[in-house]
Amino acid sequence: MKQKISFVLNDSPVAVETDPGRRAVDVLREDLGLTGTKEGCGEGECGACSVLVDNVVKLSCLMTAGQLEGKRVVTIEGIAGDGELHPVQRSFVELGAVQCGFCTPGMVVTAVGFLEVNPAPTRDEIRVAMSGNVCRCTGYQKIIDAVEDAAEKMRAGSSRG
Amino acid sequence: MKEDKGNFLDGPRLDAVSKVRGRERYAADEYSEEFLWAGAKRALVPHARLFAVHASRAGAHPGIVRVLTFRDIDGPNRLGIVRNHQPVLVDKVIRHVGDPVALVVARSREALLGALDLVTFDYEPLPGVFDPEEALKEGAPRVHEDNEEGNLMRAVRVRRGDPDGAFRGCDVVAEGVFETSRQEHAYLETEAGWARVDENGVLVVVVSTQTPYRDRKEMAHALGLGTDRVRVIAPYLGGAFGGKDGITVQCLLGLAALHTDGVPVKMWWDRRESFLAGVKRLPARMYYRLGAKTDGTFQALSCRLYFDAGPYAGLTGEIMAMGVEHAGSAYRIPNVNIEGYCVYTNNALGGPFRGFGVPQSTAGMEQVVNMVAGKLGMDPLEVRRVNALKTGDRNCVGVELRHSTGFSECVDRLVEHRFWKDREAWKASAPSWKKRGCGVGCMAHGMGYPALIPDEANARVELTENGTIRVYSGVSDMGQGNAGTYLRIAGEILNQDPATMEIIQPDTDHDLPSGTSSASRTTYTFGNAVIEAAGGLKGIILRAGVRSLGVGGVDSVELVPGAVRVKGSARQMALRDVAALIDAGGRSCTGYFRTPHDESTLNIMYLGTHVLYSYGAHLARIEVDTLTGRIDVVDYVAVTDAGRVLNRSVYDQQVQGSIAQGIGWALMEDYIVKGGRHETGDMATYIVPTSVDVPDMTSVAVEPDEATGPFGMKGIGEVVISGCLPAIANAFHDACGARITRAPFTPERVLSALAGEGEKSETEDILCS
Amino acid sequence: MVRLPLQRTEVPLVCLEGVSELRGIDESADEVRIGAVTTHSELISGSLIGKHFPLLRDAARCIGAPAVRNMGTIGGNVCTASPAGDTLPPLYILGAEVELRSLKGRRRMPICEFVSGPGRTQLDPGEVLCAVVIRKDHGFNFHHFEKVGQRKAMAISVASFAFAAAVGEKGSLARARCAFGSVAPTVFTSPVLDGLFSGNPISEGLLCDAAAIVREGISPISDVRASKRYRRRVAGNLLMRLEGGAGCR
Repeated sequence: MKQKISFVLNDSPVAVETDPGRRAVDVLREDLGLTGTKEGCGEGECGACSVLVDNVVKLSCLMTAGQLEGKRVVTIEGIAGDGELHPVQRSFVELGAVQCGFCTPGMVVTAVGFLEVNPAPTRDEIRVAMSGNVCRCTGYQKIIDAVEDAAEKMRAGSSRG
Repeated sequence: MKEDKGNFLDGPRLDAVSKVRGRERYAADEYSEEFLWAGAKRALVPHARLFAVHASRAGAHPGIVRVLTFRDIDGPNRLGIVRNHQPVLVDKVIRHVGDPVALVVARSREALLGALDLVTFDYEPLPGVFDPEEALKEGAPRVHEDNEEGNLMRAVRVRRGDPDGAFRGCDVVAEGVFETSRQEHAYLETEAGWARVDENGVLVVVVSTQTPYRDRKEMAHALGLGTDRVRVIAPYLGGAFGGKDGITVQCLLGLAALHTDGVPVKMWWDRRESFLAGVKRLPARMYYRLGAKTDGTFQALSCRLYFDAGPYAGLTGEIMAMGVEHAGSAYRIPNVNIEGYCVYTNNALGGPFRGFGVPQSTAGMEQVVNMVAGKLGMDPLEVRRVNALKTGDRNCVGVELRHSTGFSECVDRLVEHRFWKDREAWKASAPSWKKRGCGVGCMAHGMGYPALIPDEANARVELTENGTIRVYSGVSDMGQGNAGTYLRIAGEILNQDPATMEIIQPDTDHDLPSGTSSASRTTYTFGNAVIEAAGGLKGIILRAGVRSLGVGGVDSVELVPGAVRVKGSARQMALRDVAALIDAGGRSCTGYFRTPHDESTLNIMYLGTHVLYSYGAHLARIEVDTLTGRIDVVDYVAVTDAGRVLNRSVYDQQVQGSIAQGIGWALMEDYIVKGGRHETGDMATYIVPTSVDVPDMTSVAVEPDEATGPFGMKGIGEVVISGCLPAIANAFHDACGARITRAPFTPERVLSALAGEGEKSETEDILCS
Repeated sequence: MVRLPLQRTEVPLVCLEGVSELRGIDESADEVRIGAVTTHSELISGSLIGKHFPLLRDAARCIGAPAVRNMGTIGGNVCTASPAGDTLPPLYILGAEVELRSLKGRRRMPICEFVSGPGRTQLDPGEVLCAVVIRKDHGFNFHHFEKVGQRKAMAISVASFAFAAAVGEKGSLARARCAFGSVAPTVFTSPVLDGLFSGNPISEGLLCDAAAIVREGISPISDVRASKRYRRRVAGNLLMRLEGGAGCR
């Protein structure tokens, strides 16, 4: 049974007609063509499907399409849009936090959401914040470095006003 | 090659921006209304004779296009480049729970899932074998009825000197039995691809693969096609680590596409299927005996290594062979008896995983080295220093080391590290309920292929009509960044900014066969071919420039970013204009490289050996929680000899990623198969490290110049992983005075060891307590 | 939701997070009422939880990882009633009650009655868990929680230990409650165990006696994550962490 589901996606209003019981990750990837959000496990264990829902990091493989109704959703494609890279993305690039890149969208989305609430985290706090995003390539170190670097640059940028 | 590093080797990964935007399209990211979906019905029984497959209910399910069985294969229906005996779809015998019995082609993923349950089959269960030593016993059920050696897939033996005599002359002998676990790659991108038969009747497959050229051959053979009727395209992979070294979805996809009248078909294994059907690191049980004199010199090594291959040969014999080749780690040992056995079982498929047999034998050797040091009352690094291989030495299997051998320097750096020097004070200040330990583990790792298999690459570098430099990569980029490195290498030679250059990812129609993305060879071998190709193209461009710029000879001109310039002047010609002067066929140059090899090593062992090795020396600082048994690795230092570092960030990416996988393998990763059935079949039960499970890591590069390597480098992809398990095992012994010989060193095994329970059979736990 | 894709049947779903009566953490004179769809993240950041039930907050911090904590709810944890549910030991110690509603009306019951077995509750068909209600007058001024898993995040508990006490001025415990997770079909508590602590300061001898009671009283199973022998051993060990000041006020 299809239902119209309306929400804001990457700052634009969008509506899809679909079975509300479908997984959000499938709606994003298949119906909306946003393949930046990845599926790594389908059971919420790896974080590759992370998206921001009303500024909160959530796992789109464990959400139904119906749960998107009325929400503000941001996927990796919406972090920078067509514009300049977000500081988190820039730090990921510059500090070597990207290898195969498959976990990267989930990592970036998680880090962006985290830094909004905790702009001056310790390294340990960053590790905890990223602990739901599995990476098999990097050993996490450069990802932690990148989030730390982005936090510092964002603080410096905002203090300059 | 002794080129000096210039401007363009450093810098961020060139593929990072598209990946960080989420714009890079992996094999599973293609969707279309048109796409059909294919999926395999898996046996779910470990050993059985197949009688009949019943597909009609599934075939009648809404949205199902076809259900295919082995009868629909117009070819041999066999995979495997060493033993061609693994079916694409089972015809007679099911040999592991993941064996595919039927292939369903559907209009949607939902229809596919619904129909798979409806496929049934008639079978007669057969007794199975689930342990390699049991499988070698007289009367054990056979996995392959036609295998003359029962369940022995292959045995490799290397004997040097007089080990029996040498043992008698030793002052100390240490021995142990060490077991390492089945490890699952758990790359974030599971196996995926799509295929269609194009207008010319060519089967085109886009797939996440490390081996596009070999895939083409295997697919063509298995499905009864000419290789000119198959084209394989390999986009960036979302990780592989050896798990996509060979056929995964390709043949099933190809089979489906041959039956859909040109409509494209997609296959994407979900995580459970990836775990069920994919290859795993071979578990090993290793009997080690090492003898030394009071001065610490190793005299004799005897070891038997049993590798659990699973049901099909794949590359399992080659993995065992590499384990044999490295059984003595990085030391001089004049007398050895090394026996390797690769054995069929009905357990999970065994296959390549970073290290390829070397982490297993290194785990055994590096522990018995510490045991010898203990008996001698000698410092564990000192005993390693005494025996460390140097250029000109022969390694344990007798290969003379003629290339860079920086192992001693690795050990020396570790000796000087403050973690090693301060270890007693650090240990003494352990917090309550914790014990601290500091352990070392060292390794060697042969780069490239062994002597029998030509390790060669063909690169093509082109000046496009737009004046950009384009590199045709024949080697998949599974995340290690080799694609960008090829651009940087070409950029160095041509003095062009790599960010302005293009790379064409492997495509059997456009690129040239260049071997696999594996064996730590991807920068070394193909990079050398790029140097030759780019060098040739440089000559072509300069000669064309000379004519137009009206100067005497090529010595008067040079390449600058975007142009050819007259030296010492401002006169230049844009590369786009130079390109216009050369006809299309002449604007491209190929380069070839074959890695140094020594055919005489074929006398030593199956396949021969490597001749180029990378080395490492590692230190792990651990805290053991004596209440819970958990081991935390609080610090880790990896000192590596992989020749010169081209790009420090890319180098450390490999070091850090390897350490995390090595820590996972040592402490928590155990892909459990009991009676042939998978018990850890998803990511909730197969445990990999998260960001809070690994420490900050220190990477030290010892950089001897490897004269044969591009800009002096050697392979870095695999050498590091072998150090972690032994360093942690040795650190545990340092902390607690006990040795856990069966990995992973789970909290449970730790508490058992602390309670002095020794290595009781773990099944007793379930029965007795 | 995690099990949903495997079921593949046409199950009508109702999303409860949109129901406003199920949201929010509110306090009255005697109680704090935690709406069923309160996420673990909200338990962690909620000032009422931090003030009155820091034990529950500490347990919620150990669940999964940030995104899981943003999505998982106290109502979900309670109704799933996994023997390994991490909010359950604290809720048992705090004497929490569940508030259930259906078309037939409301009812309340203690959580230890609501959870009737591994994965089983007293939730009737047509009934919804609306809130978890906890009295503020528990009198505990000291709490400790430790979870043992196969890794330090995204782990299902292999054993967990929750402890709360009313500590007097001289360090002697007027009253204490212990609860263990993942070592029995439901949360393990024991009046005899709790009684050991009352009137006494924490000492190694007391903890050893307590550990023996625990090991004797629990009924762990062996599964793919751990053996019963390990669970039994570690459950007793976890008590020893209290010696030397683990836990906090």
